[in-house]
Amino acid sequence: MSGVNTNNIKNIRVYFALVRRNVLMFFKDKGLFFTALITPAILLVLYSSFLGNIYRDSILQSMPSGLSVPEKLINGLVGSQLLSSILAVSAVTVAFCSNMLMVRDKATGTVTDFRISPVKSQTLSLAYYTATLISTFAVCLFGALVGFIYLAFVGWYMSFSDVLLLLLAVFLLTMFGTALSSIVNFFLSTQGQISAVGTLVSSGYGFICGAYMPIASFSSGLQKVLMFTPGIYATSLLKSNATRGAFRALSDIGAPDALIDGIKSSIDCTLTFFGKKVETGAMYLVLCLSTAVLIAVYILQSAVKRKR
Amino acid sequence: MEENTVRVSESENIKNIIEIKNLTKNYGNVKAVSDLSFSVREGELFAFLGVNGAGKSTVINIICGVLSKDGGEVRVGVSDEKNDNVGARLGVVFQGSVLDMSLTVLENLRCRAALYGIHGEAFKKRLSELCGLLGFEDILRRTVGRLSGGQRRKIDVARALLHSPGILILDEPTTGLDPQTRSTLWSVISDVRKMSGMTVFLTTHYMEEAAGADHVVILDGGKIAAEGTPQELKNRYTGDYITVYGVSEEKIRELGVKYEPLGGGLRIFVPNTAAATELIVKHTELFSDYEVTKGNMDDVFLNATGKKLTEETGK
Repeated sequence: MSGVNTNNIKNIRVYFALVRRNVLMFFKDKGLFFTALITPAILLVLYSSFLGNIYRDSILQSMPSGLSVPEKLINGLVGSQLLSSILAVSAVTVAFCSNMLMVRDKATGTVTDFRISPVKSQTLSLAYYTATLISTFAVCLFGALVGFIYLAFVGWYMSFSDVLLLLLAVFLLTMFGTALSSIVNFFLSTQGQISAVGTLVSSGYGFICGAYMPIASFSSGLQKVLMFTPGIYATSLLKSNATRGAFRALSDIGAPDALIDGIKSSIDCTLTFFGKKVETGAMYLVLCLSTAVLIAVYILQSAVKRKR
Repeated sequence: MEENTVRVSESENIKNIIEIKNLTKNYGNVKAVSDLSFSVREGELFAFLGVNGAGKSTVINIICGVLSKDGGEVRVGVSDEKNDNVGARLGVVFQGSVLDMSLTVLENLRCRAALYGIHGEAFKKRLSELCGLLGFEDILRRTVGRLSGGQRRKIDVARALLHSPGILILDEPTTGLDPQTRSTLWSVISDVRKMSGMTVFLTTHYMEEAAGADHVVILDGGKIAAEGTPQELKNRYTGDYITVYGVSEEKIRELGVKYEPLGGGLRIFVPNTAAATELIVKHTELFSDYEVTKGNMDDVFLNATGKKLTEETGK
C-alpha cells in the first residue's frame, strides 16, 4: 500500500516537473510565444482600422431618433465586443501554438528522451495538456487585464459577476481549445506540419467562431453548419458576458427591448439553433460536454498508443 | 558472414547485461534487423559498428523500449533482474542533443533528474558530482542553445549520467567534436566505468574509439558481419604490415610481395605475424630499419563488410 502511495507521489512530482518545463518552454521560446499572439494581434488591427467603426456606426444608426446615447456607452459596447472576440480566438489559437511543443518535442527527439526514462506516457500527455492550459489561460488573463484597462478608459459597464462569468467562459474555452489542439497535435510529428496547422488555425478559427465577423452576418446555410461547432457557443458566452453591462446601461437610458435584442442577435450574444433560441445554460453545457468528450478522446489516444 | 551467437559468460562473476536473441524488425517490406543475436557483458565497453542503414539505431531503439520488435527476445539487466523499468537502468547520449535549447543547463538537468525521482538535496548532490566530473559549473545558468558543440555534449553526457545508470548508450557521442573535447569525454566515461563498473554500449565511426572496446559487433544489412575482441577481429580480418626504410623499391619488388610506398618507406602486406617473421629472417639484409604493425579497425570494417565507415556512411 505504502509502495503504491510512494509511486503516486513520485508520479505527481514527475508530472509537476514536466508541467513546469513545458510552461517555461512556451514563455522562453520567443518563436512559440509570438506566433501565439499573431491572431489576437490581427483582430486588434482589424478592429482599430475599420471593424470598430463599422460596429459603432451600425449601433448608432439602429438607435431610435430622440434617444441620446452617450459616446462612452457606444465605445464601451464596441470595446467589450472587441475584448470578447480577442479572448475567443486567443483561448484556441494560443492553445494550438502552446501545444505545438508536443510536436516539436517529437521533431527534435526530446520526447524519445522522456520515453526512455521511467515516465508513464499518460503522465507525459497530461503534463502537455496542463501546461498548455496554464500557458494559454495566463496569456488570456493578461489579454483580459489589458482589455479591462482599455474599457476603464473608453467606457466600463461590467459588474463583478460579469467579470467572473467572462473569465469562467474563457477558462472553459481554454480547456476546450487545449483538448482540441492535443488531439490534432497528437498526429503531427514534423516542423512542416506544425507550420501548416498553425497557419490554418490562426487564419481560420477567427472566422468560424465568429470573432472576426458575427455568425449572424454569414449566409443562413453556413450559419446552420457552424452551429454544430462548439466554438460558436463559447464565443457567444464571452460576448454576452462582456457586453451585458453595456446593454443594461442601454436599457437604463430607455432603449427599447426589441432594439437591444436585435443588437444582441446581430453580434451573436444570442444564438438560434434551427430557429430555436439557445439558452445560456445550454451553451455552457455544449462547451463542457464537448470539452469532456475531447479530453476523453485524448486520454484514449494516449492509452492505446503503441510503439511503432 | 559470421553466425549470430550469444556469448556465454565465462565466469559466474561476469554476467550478460544485455541479451538479444533472434531479434527481427521490419519496416514494411524492408528488413531492418534479421534474426540478430548478441550479448553485452556487465561492465564492458561494447562497440556496435555499421554503416548508415545497417540497423544500429533500430537495435538501440528496441533496447531502449521506444520501438517494438517483430520477433525475438531482448533482455536488459542481469539475468536475476526483471525486464521492467528498463529506463531507470539506461542512460542515453543521442546522436543529436535532445536538451531544451531555450532553457538553461540547470533547468534542463533539474527537469530530467525529476523524471528519475531525483529532487531537492539529492539533485544538488548529484549535480555537484557531475560538475566535478565534467567541469561545467560555470555554464549552469547559460541557455543550452548558446553553448558550443563541446559544451553541449558535456551536458548531454551529464544528463545521461544523472541517475547513475548501469548501462550507458553512446550513439556516436563524439561526432563533430574537437580532439580535446573528445579526449575529455572519453576520460570522464573511463573514470565513471572504473568507479561504478558501468557498461558502455557505443556506436561510433571513429575506429580508434572502437579499437579500445572489449567487444565489437559489426552490423551489415541488419545482420552481424563480424564479432569479437578488436584483437580477434584484426587477426581474422586483417594481416600485418612491415614498413621498411632505406631500401630501394626495386629490391622489394624482387621479393614478389604486395607493397605500397608510404611516408619515405615501403609498406609490405603479409598475411600474419608469422609470415612477417619468416620474410624478415629470410632477407635480413633488407630489414635493418623496419617496423611490424597489425592492421587496424578500419581494415577490419572494410574487409568484413566491403564498405568503408566514414562520418557520412556511419550516421
